[in-house]
Amino acid sequence: MKKRPLLGIFFYLAVAAAVIYLAVLLFRAMVPEAPQLQVERARAAIAAARDREAEVYSPRSFREARNSYDSAMAAWRRENERFILLRDYNQVISYSATAEKMAGEALRSTIARSGDLKASLGTEISRMKKEMASFEKFFMSVPLPEDVKKKHAKGKLLLREAEVDLQNERFINGHIRITEAKEYITGAYNLARNKLEAYFSGYHDWQEWATSTIEESRRKKSYAIIVEKIPPLCHLYQGGKKKYTFEAEFGRNWMGDKMSSGDLATPEGKYMVTKKLSGRSTKYHKALMINYPNKLDIQEFNERIRTGQLPPHARIGDMIEIHGEGGKGAHWTEGCVALRNADMDLLFKYASNGTPVTIIGSSLTLEEFYATR
Amino acid sequence: MKNRFFLIIATVFAAAIITSCAKVPQEALDAASAALEQAKTVQTDVYFPVEFAALNDSLAVMLQNIETEKSKSAKDFKAIKTSADAIAAKAAELAGGVEAKKAEVKAEAETMMTDVTALVDEANALILKAPKGKGGAAALAEIKDELGVIEASLAETQAQFAEEGVNYMAVVDKLKAAKEGLSGLIEELKEAITKAGIKL
Repeated sequence: MKKRPLLGIFFYLAVAAAVIYLAVLLFRAMVPEAPQLQVERARAAIAAARDREAEVYSPRSFREARNSYDSAMAAWRRENERFILLRDYNQVISYSATAEKMAGEALRSTIARSGDLKASLGTEISRMKKEMASFEKFFMSVPLPEDVKKKHAKGKLLLREAEVDLQNERFINGHIRITEAKEYITGAYNLARNKLEAYFSGYHDWQEWATSTIEESRRKKSYAIIVEKIPPLCHLYQGGKKKYTFEAEFGRNWMGDKMSSGDLATPEGKYMVTKKLSGRSTKYHKALMINYPNKLDIQEFNERIRTGQLPPHARIGDMIEIHGEGGKGAHWTEGCVALRNADMDLLFKYASNGTPVTIIGSSLTLEEFYATR
Repeated sequence: MKNRFFLIIATVFAAAIITSCAKVPQEALDAASAALEQAKTVQTDVYFPVEFAALNDSLAVMLQNIETEKSKSAKDFKAIKTSADAIAAKAAELAGGVEAKKAEVKAEAETMMTDVTALVDEANALILKAPKGKGGAAALAEIKDELGVIEASLAETQAQFAEEGVNYMAVVDKLKAAKEGLSGLIEELKEAITKAGIKL
């Protein structure tokens, strides 16, 4: 009789435990599964893209991936606020899938783009190096404004910085620098080329002056001097034949005709020796004074004043000579033609008052000039 | 009898409710986020980019884990608190190390600056010795222009040293380019001097 209540209690307990167990099982089965795996996959994909700098190379896809991930997390948080059995993680899963897909796209395009950028940066650097080499080959002696030369040098430094970026695999930075370098280098290159081309527009006049001077020398069986600026040479003709050629140096602004006093340009045109100077009468070893300005120079000067190309107070230059003390390797005179002393001795020996002196830009055409470089 | 039975059931449910209502360690979480923000303001992302990115990853994983726990019927945020504390500690450690790292990179930049300044002096000395004959003066003028630009860039970089929040890594890169340029100029000058038979 005493055992019956105990059995009854055990029975009730067992039933209760089973009910609770089943209830827990049922409850667990009804709880929706958390989208942990999908979200984690999206995060890992974003991290992989970020490590390859997708933010820089594929900003749009990467941003979309980040936004989708943030939306997934926000949706997850929102669902977790709801009663556990009523949660729906489909939106979280969908956002995660988008985030993973976009991050994958960002990574792929980053790999492709960084490869492209690396290749294009390398190509651009080589191209700019070639352009710089051309500049130095053709235009190093072209008198360019100081700021253009400085810009060219700045471009050179930026080019080196772009090379450092290429070495460090910072391709975007490298492209920014190379673009800046290009602006400087190409700017200086174009300016120099345009200046040279404009200068060579005088070629036909030069050719005519030189031909008539040589013809006169041939006809009169006399000496004649032809000075050309590109390449910087001074030729002595006798009876129409070239007897000597000397290296010459000119005024710092040698490219172009002389416009006025103090412009540091060497005049171009047909002149003649008017005076021979040596000893104490010249500080440049020996000198041959020429008749600059001649009638044509004076006419042109007055025309320039009249048309406002020169200010009214401008003065025409004079005292232009072929003199010694050259061989400095630069154009340094104030408008004269400088030769080495030994060459000047020789020229001085053959030249006399009245010897024609024709100063031209070049005996070469522009094409020949480029070809000879 | 029935009272005892209901007492047992109530105890079991109470336990379940208590367990499921474990709270997110918000304080630790805020502290971790704040530590990361603080680390960023002292340029941890600049001087320890990999470590800083890893910390951000840890934070993202932790936020995911919080939601994972919240999604469960029986929540447990103990591990979350541990990782939040670890993130905060690591962020503080990295931020603390920034000054030392910055000093290290700054020292590198300063050494490089000294080297570059010495190279500028060397180039200037070589310019005085360089031959000025045929073509030499024009080439020298070109070298002087380039040297002038490098010197200007150097002065700019030197001025950056005084600026607050300067990125010494970028300064080192700039100096590296200047150093390469100067080395090229010096080589060019030495070659011209040797060719001209002038004693170096």
